[in-house]
Amino acid sequence: MSQAENIVIRLPNDIGGLAADRIQRTDHELAPWEKRCHALADVLDFRKIINTEEKRRGVEALGSEWVGKLNYYERWIVAFATILFQKGLLTPADLAIRMDEIQKRWRDEAVLAKRGD
Amino acid sequence: MASHEHNDDHDHPHHESHPHGVQEIEPGYYELMESAVRELLIERKMIGADEVRRQIEVLDSRTPALGSKVVAHAWTDPGFRKRLLANGRKACEELGISFYDDTQLIVLENTDKVHNLIVCTLCSCYPRPVLGLPPDWYKARSYRARAVVEPRAVLAEFGTQIPDDVEIRVSDSTAVVRYLVLPVRPAGTEGFSEEDLAKLVTRDAMIGVIPVQLHAGSAA
Amino acid sequence: MKPAIQAAGVSFSEVVFAFGERPLFAPGDTVKVMTRSPIGHYRVPMYLRGHTGIVEGVVEPAQLDNEREGFGANAGGKRHYYRVAFPLGKLWQNYQGPSHDTLYIEIYETWLERS
Repeated sequence: MSQAENIVIRLPNDIGGLAADRIQRTDHELAPWEKRCHALADVLDFRKIINTEEKRRGVEALGSEWVGKLNYYERWIVAFATILFQKGLLTPADLAIRMDEIQKRWRDEAVLAKRGD
Repeated sequence: MASHEHNDDHDHPHHESHPHGVQEIEPGYYELMESAVRELLIERKMIGADEVRRQIEVLDSRTPALGSKVVAHAWTDPGFRKRLLANGRKACEELGISFYDDTQLIVLENTDKVHNLIVCTLCSCYPRPVLGLPPDWYKARSYRARAVVEPRAVLAEFGTQIPDDVEIRVSDSTAVVRYLVLPVRPAGTEGFSEEDLAKLVTRDAMIGVIPVQLHAGSAA
Repeated sequence: MKPAIQAAGVSFSEVVFAFGERPLFAPGDTVKVMTRSPIGHYRVPMYLRGHTGIVEGVVEPAQLDNEREGFGANAGGKRHYYRVAFPLGKLWQNYQGPSHDTLYIEIYETWLERS
């Protein structure tokens, strides 16, 4: 099988039996946004807006480079955004504009908070 | 080619924020994305304003302590043990542990002849309703790639030696069933209360990578 | 094949089951994992393709095909999953361990054929 075939035929998450290093018993406490992201995934599944299997497929569809470079919940939120675009529930512009608004909101509050010190 | 491109050990946060939820550092890109998606879905009435918040409470309430209670109860009540092995989800529900999703639970009994461990090679399937969220190592490449190929070597890395006359069973979750290992009750616990037994049962014992030990010495 | 059904000592006339209603395989059956290579989404790892195992249990009730579910199907076309046992010594060429070590995994009915 050529590399051009293998990279499509083997999903990036299908790693059972592939070469790997020693286990490192890492763990971390979830950041608040990560927990919100996990909760959002559950709510999307309960509502069948994005079911759990769609989420899995969406993460696989990010491709091996993104899967390799984004961490666990980053992969989830990017997958959710893409699936919501595909379903016509949000547009890329909707999301980008709102992200900028939230960032601005945060910065404005931070300025106010500093002034209050 | 493949082995280092798919870096599934990449679960550390890219952007540190204050651990107790008070943002001192500006939200990172992905946090902005999560917040924006959530706000837009709520505004468009696709999800309710309180649903995510409530689900965070649900998740916070699911910890390995629940699983430990199930194990301790199975160790002390033979009837419950039988029901647990016949239908894991139903037995957990008897104890008030609801399953908020559509998954089923098969409880895998360790004996002096059989040792079970669980893995999800394809993603991170884990019995969340009864154990909470999985540790990073369970979701990372090394465990997922190797547990199905060389379980004995993997167990040894956790400090667990299983003799050759004991059968190792690796369960790889791929669909609707989730697994919980029912560890062997350690010797020397005769007469322990259920509460004291539950204190001995760790998350990693219910994944199957370590046994339950009377003295927590080497178990992490 | 039209089995007769009996309940509470009363014998019903023959009942025909709908497609997918009854499992095709039973515990103890030897099954082979098919060797197709789907793209897009699958839940049968490549390490299993073409291997032979023994059905250890039938997951009830019938469920959605998770390959379809991954693309948005939320209902319909239900078939059974099977918990299938594969000796690790047969799955892997250089398996380091005794012959009784086994892998268990759920596989959808559309991936299995009788062996």
